[in-house]
Amino acid sequence: MKIVGVCACTVGIAHTYIAQEKLEKAAEKAGYDIHLETQGTIGTQNELTPEDIADADIAILAIDVKIKGMERFDKITKMTVPTDIAIKSPNKLMEKAAQVIKQRQNA
Amino acid sequence: MKSAFKKLRLKNHLLTAISYLIPVVCGAGFMIAIGMAFGGSSSADLTKSFSFWDALSTMGGAGLGILPMIISTGIAFSIADKPGIAPGLVIGLAAQQIGAGFIGGLIGGFIAGWLVLAILKYVKLPTWANGLMPMLIVPFLASFIGCLIMIYIIGGPIGWFTTWLTHYLGTLNNTSKLFYGLMIGVLASVDYGGPINKTVFAFVLTMQASGVNEPITALILVNMATPLGFTAAYFIGKLFRKNIYNKVEVETIKTAFPMGIFEIVEGVLPIVLNDIVRCVVATGIGGAVGGAISMYFSANSKVPFGGLLAIPTMTKPMGFIIGLVANILVTGTALALLKKPVPVDEKEEEEDTSSEAELNMDDIQIS
Repeated sequence: MKIVGVCACTVGIAHTYIAQEKLEKAAEKAGYDIHLETQGTIGTQNELTPEDIADADIAILAIDVKIKGMERFDKITKMTVPTDIAIKSPNKLMEKAAQVIKQRQNA
Repeated sequence: MKSAFKKLRLKNHLLTAISYLIPVVCGAGFMIAIGMAFGGSSSADLTKSFSFWDALSTMGGAGLGILPMIISTGIAFSIADKPGIAPGLVIGLAAQQIGAGFIGGLIGGFIAGWLVLAILKYVKLPTWANGLMPMLIVPFLASFIGCLIMIYIIGGPIGWFTTWLTHYLGTLNNTSKLFYGLMIGVLASVDYGGPINKTVFAFVLTMQASGVNEPITALILVNMATPLGFTAAYFIGKLFRKNIYNKVEVETIKTAFPMGIFEIVEGVLPIVLNDIVRCVVATGIGGAVGGAISMYFSANSKVPFGGLLAIPTMTKPMGFIIGLVANILVTGTALALLKKPVPVDEKEEEEDTSSEAELNMDDIQIS
C-alpha cells in the first residue's frame, strides 16, 4: 500500500513535524510505503511530485489549516484529520486507511 | 444545526488566519520589544529626527498595527482563496478605521470571504463580460458591500463592545483579576501552543489592541514558564535523586530551554507526547499560578510577543518576574513529583500501540 500526505499545523513549527514523524513510524511498522510533505512556517518541505500522488492508494492529510495545492489530491481518496489525531493515534489511523482502501476497492 | 455549523469550518479558517498572523506578531513584536527595551519610542515621526531604537519600535508598532488587516485577509483567503485577499484587506482596513479593531477584522474576514463565494456563485455575466469578473466584479462588489456592512452596520457596535470590555477589564477587582489570570494561565498553557492556546491568544491580543495589556502578559508568562519549568523539573528531580527524563528527552530540553526564553513553547512537545497526562497536569497547575500572579500584580507588557524581551517594556516588571519564577517552580516541582523515574541510559521504549486513543469518526473526513 502506498500512502501520500501533507502535515500542516497552525504555527507550523512543531505539531507539523511530530505528526509527520508519528505517521511515518506507524506506516513503517504496518509495512506501508509513505511519503509526507510538510507545510510549516518555513515553507513546503519534502514536496510530493505528481507521480507520487498518482501512484498512491490514499492521501492522509493531517492538517489544521488551509494547505497549498489541495487540488493535487482531487483524484484520489483522501482522509483529512487534525494534526493532534495523527499524533495521538497514528497506528489506528493506518488501520483506518487500510480499511477505507479495501472498501473503495470492493465498491 | 450542528452539521451546518460544522460546514462553516469557522475554527479552520480562524486557525489558518492565525498561522499567517503569528510570524507578523513575532517579527514586529521582537522589533518593538528590542526598540523599547533600549528606550525607543513606538510613535516616532520617521520623517523628522529619530534614533535607531525609535525606528525599530515605530516599525514594530506599525507592523502590529496591521494585525486587523492580517486576520481579515487570512480568513478571507482561507474561505475564498486568492479572490478573497483583496476584499479581506480592504474590509480589515475598514474595521480598523471605524475603531472595530481586531474583533472587527476577524468578523470582517468572514464577511469578505463569504461575499466573494456568494458573488462567484450568484453573479452570472454574459460570456463577453467574463473577463470583468476577476478584475472588477469580485473585488469591487465584495469590498464595497463588505465595507458598507462594516462601517454602517457592525463596526459601531463592535467598537462600543470593545470600549465596554476595555473599561470592564480596567476596573476589575483583585479577586476577578486572580480568576481571569488563572483562566488564561490554564487555557494558554495546557495544549502547548495548540488551538486552545491560539484562541486565547487571539482574545488577549484583541484586549491589548484596545489598550489592556495585562491579559496578554499572563499568556506571555505561561508560554515562557512552561518550557523553563520543564527544564527546572530536570534539576528539581535531581535534588530528589530522581531521574525523570530519558536521554532523548534531555536533548529535547536543551533546545526547549532557549526557545522558552523567547516564548516559544512548542519545544517541549516531544516530551509531553511521551507522557501526556502528567505533563498537562503539571503545566496546568503551574500556568494557573503564574497567570493569576501576573494578573494580580497587573504586569503589563506593551508588546504581544517576545518572552524575555517583553520585560523591559513593562511598567510593573516585578509582578511578571515573581509570577514567572513561581510558575517555573510550581510546574517544575509538580512534574518532578508526578513523573515516573527512568534509568539514565534507558533506550527508547517500544511504543505500546494498544493504548492509543480510539478514533472519533467526527474528526475524520473521508472524501
